[in-house]
Amino acid sequence: MGDTISYFLMAWTDPSLLMLTAIGTLAGIYVGAIPGLSVTMATSILISFTFAWDVNDALALIVGVYCGGVYGGSRTAIMLNIPGAPSAVATSFDGYPLAQQGEAGRAIGLSTVMSVIGGLIGTIVLASIAPFLSDMALEFAPRDYFLIAVLGLLLVGSLAAESLSRGIFAAALGAVIGLVGLDPVTADQRFTMGSMQLMGGIHYVVVMIGMFGVAEAFFQLHQLNAVPVRQKVDKIIPSFKLVLKYLPLSIRTSIIGVVVGALPGTGGDIASLFAYDHAKRTVKNPSKPFGQGAYEGLVAPETANNAAVGGAYVPMLTLGMPGDAVTAIIIGALVIHGLNPGPMLMIQTPHIFWFTVGNLVLANIFLLIFGLTGIKIFAKVVELPKAILIPLILVLCVVGSYSLNSSMTEVYWMLGFGLLGYFMKIFRFQMGPVILGVILGPLMDTTYRQAMSSVGDNGSAFLLDLVTHPLSIILTTTVVLLLLSNTPLKRMIKRRNKTA
Amino acid sequence: MSQVQQLKAGERVFNGLLLLFSAGVFYEAFQISGFESLNSPGAFPIMISLIMLLTMISILWGQRHHPKPDTHGAFDEARQFLHEHFPLTIVVFSAMAIGYLALLQPLGFIIATALFLFVSQVYLRRGRFLASAIITVAATAIIYALFKLLFQVYLP
Repeated sequence: MGDTISYFLMAWTDPSLLMLTAIGTLAGIYVGAIPGLSVTMATSILISFTFAWDVNDALALIVGVYCGGVYGGSRTAIMLNIPGAPSAVATSFDGYPLAQQGEAGRAIGLSTVMSVIGGLIGTIVLASIAPFLSDMALEFAPRDYFLIAVLGLLLVGSLAAESLSRGIFAAALGAVIGLVGLDPVTADQRFTMGSMQLMGGIHYVVVMIGMFGVAEAFFQLHQLNAVPVRQKVDKIIPSFKLVLKYLPLSIRTSIIGVVVGALPGTGGDIASLFAYDHAKRTVKNPSKPFGQGAYEGLVAPETANNAAVGGAYVPMLTLGMPGDAVTAIIIGALVIHGLNPGPMLMIQTPHIFWFTVGNLVLANIFLLIFGLTGIKIFAKVVELPKAILIPLILVLCVVGSYSLNSSMTEVYWMLGFGLLGYFMKIFRFQMGPVILGVILGPLMDTTYRQAMSSVGDNGSAFLLDLVTHPLSIILTTTVVLLLLSNTPLKRMIKRRNKTA
Repeated sequence: MSQVQQLKAGERVFNGLLLLFSAGVFYEAFQISGFESLNSPGAFPIMISLIMLLTMISILWGQRHHPKPDTHGAFDEARQFLHEHFPLTIVVFSAMAIGYLALLQPLGFIIATALFLFVSQVYLRRGRFLASAIITVAATAIIYALFKLLFQVYLP
């Protein structure tokens, strides 16, 4: 017990670790907030120059960037309707309408406090029930991963778009974009049309920057002369009463976040959508209608995506499996430092586990401090006239896409996706499902084929598997119910019940 | 659920193009490995492209009763589409953006970015040369320091 506490407090008592966690968190907030920069990109770059550092120093910085970055993505989602990361897509549904109504300060303040609550709950769960959750995740079959990805796409399709058909079309389009390149198993070319440049695939960040950054920037040109909405930043710190009001919802959505985050391959993006859906379905009287600035629509995804950080660490530290893209990079960092991520990590180097837990708590405390104090500067940036902001956003988009491969090809792709995104926005197609499709498409392809291989390419056996295994039954039922709830069948049943 | 709302100018054409695109995606998916097996490299792409086709047909089918845009013929609809969504500001800014990308490598990141920021701000703000120049210098310096020096990102 004494050792555990000393491991836990390691980052709290060492000034250099304390400083690195603080710097990482602050940097993460701005990395997450600046369009074109992503936490994944930042952690990849961090690994490249921290591999010679002491492992604790490197992990302290990376944990800070990760926590700060997941939260930072919500800032641009609220202020600019440009989610800094896929996990902040759901935040923009109600966060941006709140900013348009002049409540950006309160929205960011509330999202900060809720992010910290979510982050702390995620860390508590990581520390207490990590072995249990990791055991559960071990039982998952490829078909379950496939079903979870299907569920994620259906959720984002039904939530973000004005009709399920539009949402599913956008998600499928994203999946096709994600599949471009060489098949990972057979190296067959898929959707490359013989182009050498397409064989390496299209990076999802390019699609994200194009569709969220460039398309939004061009859309903003329509309101160039509109009087900017003055962002209220005088009420940054939410009242205790307000926090208390949304505490039960934040606890519920934190649990959703941590559980979804703990599922390998699913991170804050799906967690936040699940949480948003949960809020939409369970909150009877939201502060405003969902999609028009409901605080509940802000609280749910923000607590869930930060809680998912703690959840994502569970399979990474106990099974050596990444919870999301960032933890996949952190696994690489651990290996570089001579550690063995997986079940043996907790046996051979228990200090790494408890150090990480302590570090996550510390990063969340810094998140609260920096999140509540840095809003005025950030809001000032957003208050810049659009004529200044739009060219700057475009430059950041160019830098972000170029830095992926140091190639202008990515920049032209980004511009192309920006144009497509602009047209899609005009004709009421949402960007969220496209991005999720790009990320989940390859995962669905892999897990589908693994599941199919496991039944000897027998379609009937595959379908039977979906309804004969306990976890698969739950997931299949959820998928079917979600589909049915978006069809006229639900309305017919309701009408019939009313008549009866 | 979707509400019956008036179609936008050009919406039917755009959705029609998306349907054609979906058909093209299906053709490309089929080219990967045909219907070889349920576990072939093309199996999942075929499924996804079929979903694209079916949802697009569903969207077009659902729109058949939607009120058409208030235009007189295809030419008028095209004119209204361009007027609504491609006003002069967007066309000029797009040209500047393309020019910026074209000049990035010949001129280098700093000069091309400064030039783009200055010219686009002067155009979008209808003048304000001094303020635009100050913002351009400050923004270019900050972006360069942040990305090149702090994040060590490669710049064009």
